[in-house]
Amino acid sequence: MDTILKIDGVSKRFGGLMALADVSFEVKKGRILGLIGPNGAGKTTMFNCIAGIYKPTEGRIVFDKETGPVDVGGSRPEQMTQMGVARTFQNIRLFGSLPVLDNVRIGRHCRAAQGFWGAVLRTKGQKAEERMLVEQSMEYLDFVGLKNKALDLSSSLSYGDQRRLEIARALASQPKLLLLDEPAAGMNPQETASLVDLIHAIMRKDITVVLIEHDMKLVMSICEHLVVLDHGVKIAEGGPRDIRENPEVIEAYLGRGAAHA
Amino acid sequence: MFEQQLFNGLTLGLIYALIAVGYTMVYGVIELINFAHGEVYMLGAFLCITFIQALGVPLFPAMVLAMACCAGIGVLIDQIAYKPLRKAPRLAALITAIGVSIFLQNIAMIIWGSRPVPFTRSAVPAAFSETAFTLGSVNVSGLQVFIYALTIAMMIGLTLIINKTRIGTAMRALAQNATAAALMGINVNRVISFTFALGSGLGAVAGILVGMYYNTLSATMGYNAGVKAFAAAVLGGIGSVPGAMLGGVVLGVAETLGAGYVSSQYRDGLGYAVMIAVILLRPSGLLGKSVGQKA
Amino acid sequence: MTGNKTALKLLGLAALLAFPVLPFSSEYVMHVAVLIMVYAVLAMGLNVLPGFCNLLDLGYVGFYGIGAYTAGILALNHNVSFWLIVPGAIALGALCGMLRGAPTLRLSGDYFAIVTFGFTELVVLFLTNEIWLTRGPLGLPGIPPIALSLEFLGIDWRYDFLSEIPYYYLGLAMVGAVYVVMCRIEDSRLGRAWLAIKEDPLAAASCGINLMAYKTVAFAFSAGVGALAGCFMAQWSMFLAPDVFKFWESFLVLCMIVLGGLGNINGAIVGAVVLIALGEVLRVLLPKLGLPAETRFLVYGLIMILIMRFKPGGFFPTIAATSKKSRLILDLKARLQAERAG
Repeated sequence: MDTILKIDGVSKRFGGLMALADVSFEVKKGRILGLIGPNGAGKTTMFNCIAGIYKPTEGRIVFDKETGPVDVGGSRPEQMTQMGVARTFQNIRLFGSLPVLDNVRIGRHCRAAQGFWGAVLRTKGQKAEERMLVEQSMEYLDFVGLKNKALDLSSSLSYGDQRRLEIARALASQPKLLLLDEPAAGMNPQETASLVDLIHAIMRKDITVVLIEHDMKLVMSICEHLVVLDHGVKIAEGGPRDIRENPEVIEAYLGRGAAHA
Repeated sequence: MFEQQLFNGLTLGLIYALIAVGYTMVYGVIELINFAHGEVYMLGAFLCITFIQALGVPLFPAMVLAMACCAGIGVLIDQIAYKPLRKAPRLAALITAIGVSIFLQNIAMIIWGSRPVPFTRSAVPAAFSETAFTLGSVNVSGLQVFIYALTIAMMIGLTLIINKTRIGTAMRALAQNATAAALMGINVNRVISFTFALGSGLGAVAGILVGMYYNTLSATMGYNAGVKAFAAAVLGGIGSVPGAMLGGVVLGVAETLGAGYVSSQYRDGLGYAVMIAVILLRPSGLLGKSVGQKA
Repeated sequence: MTGNKTALKLLGLAALLAFPVLPFSSEYVMHVAVLIMVYAVLAMGLNVLPGFCNLLDLGYVGFYGIGAYTAGILALNHNVSFWLIVPGAIALGALCGMLRGAPTLRLSGDYFAIVTFGFTELVVLFLTNEIWLTRGPLGLPGIPPIALSLEFLGIDWRYDFLSEIPYYYLGLAMVGAVYVVMCRIEDSRLGRAWLAIKEDPLAAASCGINLMAYKTVAFAFSAGVGALAGCFMAQWSMFLAPDVFKFWESFLVLCMIVLGGLGNINGAIVGAVVLIALGEVLRVLLPKLGLPAETRFLVYGLIMILIMRFKPGGFFPTIAATSKKSRLILDLKARLQAERAG
């Protein structure tokens, strides 16, 4: 099994606070990995390191590009997106005053090329690209089930739809690796069920998924492999069953003594 | 020559520091560049001479009165213009601040005219224009001694207020984290008003001192002083009160020495150049916390 | 509906073209009309930064000054052709724009506002003190008017701009060209990238947008447009002095786009029309009230405060609603409606 992403001894320090301490794990291509842990465990910090928003204080983040594995730690966010890593945000960050379609068109930014002169002169190439951007964006919206809302203002969408739009925007950059930060947060059971279907559909597109999620039922049902963080340290790793029975994990979630209770 | 410039620069620097403190405190509590602060400084100077000329108040009580008025004006500016925009996009508040600045400048122009006016000489003690003491080749005037004493005393007072009083602690808490401060039961609006009052009062004193020092007042004097005090605040690290004090002094000395030894025509541009250099090399300033892209 | 709109647009255009020959179009009215066009270009150019990228530019007329002096000096002292002056001035303006913005690229928008606040002052200082180049406070009198010629093509044709009327038509062409360019950019990959940066820089970067590169393009473009307005103005007014480019002018242009609605291209033009017309009225009215003419800025300041407080989308929100409809979107809308119906 190929590795698409290798986290190798990554630490991140903010002043005196150690948000991540020597964390290592691997993400296998075509699989879905769950990153779990109590609040403040360092999960989102880990995502931010992978997505290029933070530069790790120590350690390597090795991403398998077409040309072979490269240490991408410290790359900028747009470089990571260009390489094929896309993400969603824990607290939804859509371009709220823009239409749904434009959010996805912007998501597709790095797979298009026209710049200033193309826009000013409206060249043939630019017009063709603009047409294509609309078509492709509509396909992504169709994929997440928002086709009919393409021209609505994105801030007018329901909470669940906003989460879906964020996923469509991330998919539009044609990622090889998709980082989903609590996609089910705030969703009702029905929305969560259709989210599971959506994640399975994403997997079928040969996209590897890393998922941060608090909904344990959801995580346990769709992840084959889990990594557990607590206070910035990896405390366990394995299949759903191993994790559920791991005393350290139970302790981290329920507090000291709970494992023996 | 050099020593004389140094003392002159120090005079100017202490005044800049007094203005810069006002910018930096407001930025600390509501993250807004209060462009109208330069105008409060200008109003301080004009109000002071008006009290002297129209009401016959002696200099020192007139200063206190002007200071109190400006503190009130500062609070009013915040209440009327900025407070309704606390939750609006940052740009809206910033644009409003610029609007207030221009508005006040023109009010001043209507009241006191658009031509520069001299400070009321008769109200200034004779001792101010005499040489107070001579240090080697340096002549220090009575006014300069007064400026040193007053500005330093005010800065010590300010430091004590910020560090030793309840409201000062609340200000620092607000600067750290507004939401948490509100949750801890701090009356956020009262602290913000207090900050505006404090900063504006100090700004008014600075305006009066500059008016006396250069013996000229104009409705547009706030713009240049604003840019420079701003540069001083950035130099010291925006949001840091000791930084603004240090930044003001450094800038005043640099400006006076620059005018003396490099180019007197570009004197007013020097503050700007210093600011650009700081932003390029150390955007967090001399004493500030690190800053980055605000998401 | 659409037919009516097209007819209305044509009528408007016809009125604009016929304007100079209308009976009330005195030399003064024409002068004000040309002035409005210069400010319309400035307003559209300034709009790029606060309107599309969420960056407050407080020193925009610095570029206006750079463009004007470039044109003035080249035309007066070196007799350079208008065809070369325009691209030269734009390029210099764009370069200065990039240099001004560069130090703040990695920092928050507040730092950009701070840097621009003093920028006009620096430009005025330069224009005042570099007497060898600009004649300093005396200003540059006697700049030759615009002369269009095709002599460089070997064609013996030359046209000198001797009254307000040719400036009116050239100004109209300039406003039109800048307007079309602005609309095209707004509805393009570049424009969307700017709007993304305006909404949420972090999310924009995560969409693959290189913030520094796109902000730099915005700095250059915005400044280039300002310089264009400057070089038109220099040869139109035929006299330049450093005082023309003080901070207040930047404020006036900012007030125009605030009035029209930040980010609204049509609004920028409307803002220019309203404020220049208002300025002319106040200029006459205020001295009669015994007030100096400069105090008209009191009104502008008040407008700015009130708009931000009560109508942050600008005074004419409906103009914004009609602007953003490209062909592609209209087609898509029709298609979606057809699908829903069928």
